[in-house]
Amino acid sequence: MKLGVFVNDYKSTVDTVERLKADKLGLIFVQNGVYHATLKVNGKPCPLLDKTANLYALAEDLATRGLTDADVDKRVKVVTYSDVVDLIFNDYEQLAWL
Amino acid sequence: MADIKCAFVIQRPPYKSETSTLGFTHAISYQVVEMLLEDGQNVIPTVCMVGEGVLNLIKDQKAMENYGVTSIESHGKNSLLVDLDILVCKEDLDGFGIPEDRLLDAEDMGADKKLQIVPYSEIQKAMESANHLLFF
Repeated sequence: MKLGVFVNDYKSTVDTVERLKADKLGLIFVQNGVYHATLKVNGKPCPLLDKTANLYALAEDLATRGLTDADVDKRVKVVTYSDVVDLIFNDYEQLAWL
Repeated sequence: MADIKCAFVIQRPPYKSETSTLGFTHAISYQVVEMLLEDGQNVIPTVCMVGEGVLNLIKDQKAMENYGVTSIESHGKNSLLVDLDILVCKEDLDGFGIPEDRLLDAEDMGADKKLQIVPYSEIQKAMESANHLLFF
């Protein structure tokens, strides 16, 4: 299974995502999910960033919240809406919205 | 006659819902509420930003450009412009690693008020002294 997961909220989805297993797992941080890619709670990055190497954060949602590329963890690729469409059609067979 | 103290506690992050926006707009509307009070009575509002609510205060939000909506930053600045006290939990800012210079101000709008970064104990005092406690 190739599973792309839209993480669109902060905190409440962490447990669910940590239990997911897939041959290829992508985490696409959108809306308030972008805080997973930017905030270090008590100096520690979000544990979701250790879940997979396929990490993406939507540039528009970062900018809306006053966040910049410099705030994003180096493991996360900042992408545009167009890039997300490419991910949906080219990289993942199934998609989830959490 | 005693004044009425209201504490508007904003604890939710921005944009996923209208919750934090409503917190600011309710606090700003206190001036209208005063019409319903007895003579000489005043409403004294305080906005308290705690937990993920502090994320609403990061400056340079591009909500109009990307979502076509007024940014929550604007609501925060308007709150300062009408002289609302906005208390921001220092522990939560530190926990998220957000420095003070990343936070909004309303100097460009001519506001005298600034965000007040305080320990949670100060916010606790504000909540304890309030006649009405409203969570957003």
